[in-house]
Amino acid sequence: MRPGLTVKLSILLACIGILASGVTGYYAYSTNQSLLVKEAERNLLTSTELLSQRLSAVLNDIAADALTLANMPSSAKVAGFEDVAGDDVAKERLAQVFGTIMRLHPQYAQVRLISRQQFGLELIRFDRDGDRLVRVTGSLLQEKGHFPYVFETLALAPGRVYVSPITVNHEQGAHSAEGAPTLRLATPVVTSTGAVVGVVVINVWLKSLLDSVQSDLPAGHQLYLTNEWGDFLAHPNPAMTFGFDKGRRLLVQDSYEQTRPLFDKTQTSVLVNGLDNPQRAKGQILAFVRKPFGLPENHQFVVLGLARPLEDVLRGGKSLGESTIQMVLAFSVLSIVLAVVFSRALTRPLQMLTHAATSFQTRHALEALPVTRTDEIGVLARCFDQMRKELKSHMEKMSQNQQELRHLAHHDSLTGLPNRMQFFHQIECAIDAVAESGQQLAVLFIDLDHFKQINDQMGHAVGDQVLIVVAQRLRSALRGEDVVARLGGDEFIVLIKGPAIAAEVPAIAAKILSTLNEDIMTHGHRLQVCASIGISLFPDDGVTAEELVLRADSAMYKAKVSGRYTFARYQAAE
Amino acid sequence: MQKYFQITILTILLALAPPVFAADKTLRVLAWPGYADPDVVKAFEARFHSKVEVTFVDSDESLWDKMHAGHDNTFDVVAANTVEIHRYTREGLLQPLDLARLPNTRFQLPRFRALSSIGGLTQGGKVYAIPFTYSAMGLIYDRKQVSVPPRSMSELWNPRYRGKVLAFNSAQHNFSFTALALGVDNPFQLDVNQMRRVAKQLVALRRNLLSYYSLPEEATRLFIQHKSALLFANYGTQQLTQLRKAGADVGYVIPEEGALAWLDCWAMTRAVRDRSLALAWIDYMLEPAVSRLLPERQGLANTLTSPPEVSDKSRIIWLQPVEDVGQREALWGKIVSGNLPERL
Repeated sequence: MRPGLTVKLSILLACIGILASGVTGYYAYSTNQSLLVKEAERNLLTSTELLSQRLSAVLNDIAADALTLANMPSSAKVAGFEDVAGDDVAKERLAQVFGTIMRLHPQYAQVRLISRQQFGLELIRFDRDGDRLVRVTGSLLQEKGHFPYVFETLALAPGRVYVSPITVNHEQGAHSAEGAPTLRLATPVVTSTGAVVGVVVINVWLKSLLDSVQSDLPAGHQLYLTNEWGDFLAHPNPAMTFGFDKGRRLLVQDSYEQTRPLFDKTQTSVLVNGLDNPQRAKGQILAFVRKPFGLPENHQFVVLGLARPLEDVLRGGKSLGESTIQMVLAFSVLSIVLAVVFSRALTRPLQMLTHAATSFQTRHALEALPVTRTDEIGVLARCFDQMRKELKSHMEKMSQNQQELRHLAHHDSLTGLPNRMQFFHQIECAIDAVAESGQQLAVLFIDLDHFKQINDQMGHAVGDQVLIVVAQRLRSALRGEDVVARLGGDEFIVLIKGPAIAAEVPAIAAKILSTLNEDIMTHGHRLQVCASIGISLFPDDGVTAEELVLRADSAMYKAKVSGRYTFARYQAAE
Repeated sequence: MQKYFQITILTILLALAPPVFAADKTLRVLAWPGYADPDVVKAFEARFHSKVEVTFVDSDESLWDKMHAGHDNTFDVVAANTVEIHRYTREGLLQPLDLARLPNTRFQLPRFRALSSIGGLTQGGKVYAIPFTYSAMGLIYDRKQVSVPPRSMSELWNPRYRGKVLAFNSAQHNFSFTALALGVDNPFQLDVNQMRRVAKQLVALRRNLLSYYSLPEEATRLFIQHKSALLFANYGTQQLTQLRKAGADVGYVIPEEGALAWLDCWAMTRAVRDRSLALAWIDYMLEPAVSRLLPERQGLANTLTSPPEVSDKSRIIWLQPVEDVGQREALWGKIVSGNLPERL
């Protein structure tokens, strides 16, 4: 069975509903995701910028320590001595201060006073060896004049602070500082006359520096740090850091292509997220910020980066996602229900119309139609109703006409009696009905005597009147089930049914004759009509209607010949 | 019906297959960046109807690792310096080369055709590598501050240039060139006394320096910012080009006692699959049109023409394995850290 309009419409409407809610749900979900990521990116960028400010603050604190040490009058005095021996008392007192600074700042790996003279020989030096503080003295002190943190700092104006690039410290004998990623801050030591006689250098472990910077960073955040060429200095995977120190460059630009603008200095911050760039930052969002580093004239900078797992960010959206799915499912179900209800509501009047149209043929009772509706369906129903009524009245008229026509076709218009055709039809039916039962039928062929004369002498109107009267009398003379028909002109014929009819027929014929013989009053004339009757019997005289009628007719002629106003039975021998 | 169709297709494919495979000769090249640029590779592939797979290395260590990676990672030809070639030959990783099948070697300068004079390229009378490109570690000087081009490396120790000298931060070459400057015959094989003398001399050099550098960019920045006068050019003429580009008015000399130089050569590995294709590659590398790209694109010297800074008479000393890398590096660590001479 092909699906009906209701099913089709239901499916269509349900599909539209499901699609609409699905698309809306998906759009809401993805919009929410990207909003979440954008928000998280903004927050992450803010965090990274805060981190960069904290780095500045921490560096400023270290620089302040370096300046404090360098500005102590005894620093200039000790550094200014040509001879290492110098004023030992002043030197020892100064060394105590250096030692105190080291004790107060566990993140310092080394604190030194380095002379300009003697190829940058160290004068006071404290190292950290594990938890232990070591003062390096005598021939263990080294010449550091060829290191940038010395010769660059010696060229600085008083009060300025040199910040070294972050590198792995390969200086031998540096105790725990050796081999560790290190940052050096240095500031010149100036005499009262303005001569730069040495430098104070503070070595800071990168690790402790970063630890103090990121101490209050929420869990799940990962820190990246690169130098101005993009070499990783800090990375969640330590194997990725200081590649250049091992002869292999590991650059942030290669890991995150989007950071390139930071290095060609077209942007100061860059955001990367795994939602828009799944292949670049899988499952992460990252913020990178370029931060000037060290002396402004060196145009150095570092790039700080923070990463967060994308999952953390999207977790907030997960419940929304789930409720979106629930909503979509609920709306889908609702839309299915609504689709069914709506399509049924829409198709019910149509079904009513269809039903009315199909049953119109079979049943004549008028089905109720939604004619009171004000919409198109109401108009259609009213039109249909109107059409139906008109059709009905047409059909009634037509069937009436048809009945009349059928009557006319089977009856004589003058007398109202069945005509020849109808008679033959009835006699055939009667033959069929009695053939098996062995009963008899009688056919009486009646012909009026001298009717032609009545017609000729008194006019057709009288003749017609006579025929009408004859028909009435014949009808009244016979039983209801007997058939009387007019064959044409003044010929009538009668079919009599019933058991043992042969015996009764003469009496009936006689009754007919006497009935017809009564006077007829018409148009002011008194007339008397008589008739001759021929009788044939079924099955004795014939088994077909034609035979019976023919034989009755010939019997009638016999009756006419034998003197009219009589009846005769057909006799085959004649 | 469909089955017959498939069989027909298969038959046609099989009939076509042999020429397809024949055209699919593959050459696996292990080289340094700049030695096998894509256009160069493409031209070779077109000419020899082959496919070339180039793997680049960025250090002698990674080259060593790749040469020892095993069956999954084998190569047909490799570019390596004389010291590495020497190591690989001794390990039996290389195949001897048939010079008759390398006709382009006739274009090479005489010093590169005298293969037995270059340490590490021959063994048992057989040639294992063909020179391709080199870089001599000469002296770069500021023409404004140094009016007469220096003739010796010992100028680096000249107190006139104190705090204006830049040296390279590496153990091996510094010991070698200092030994050369001190007049030692074989700077790669130092005895204990020579070693001590050289170490002391390196402390003296340190005291005359502005700084050590590691990367050429770093050297250029220091040279310009601190108005340096002399620079030991570990990266050779590449550094000269870079300094000139940065606006420095500099010259380059090969000192009379000679300059150390690395020399990269092409060699064929023991694992070579298609010997004639490998030889064709090596010969192709020596074609003037290909070798010309080294100075043009990389600032490196090729073996066909002399760069203006290096004459035929210039003494170039190809790097050789040193007596004890560990000892040189241990000493160097102390020197570069600033140890006093008595603490070496």
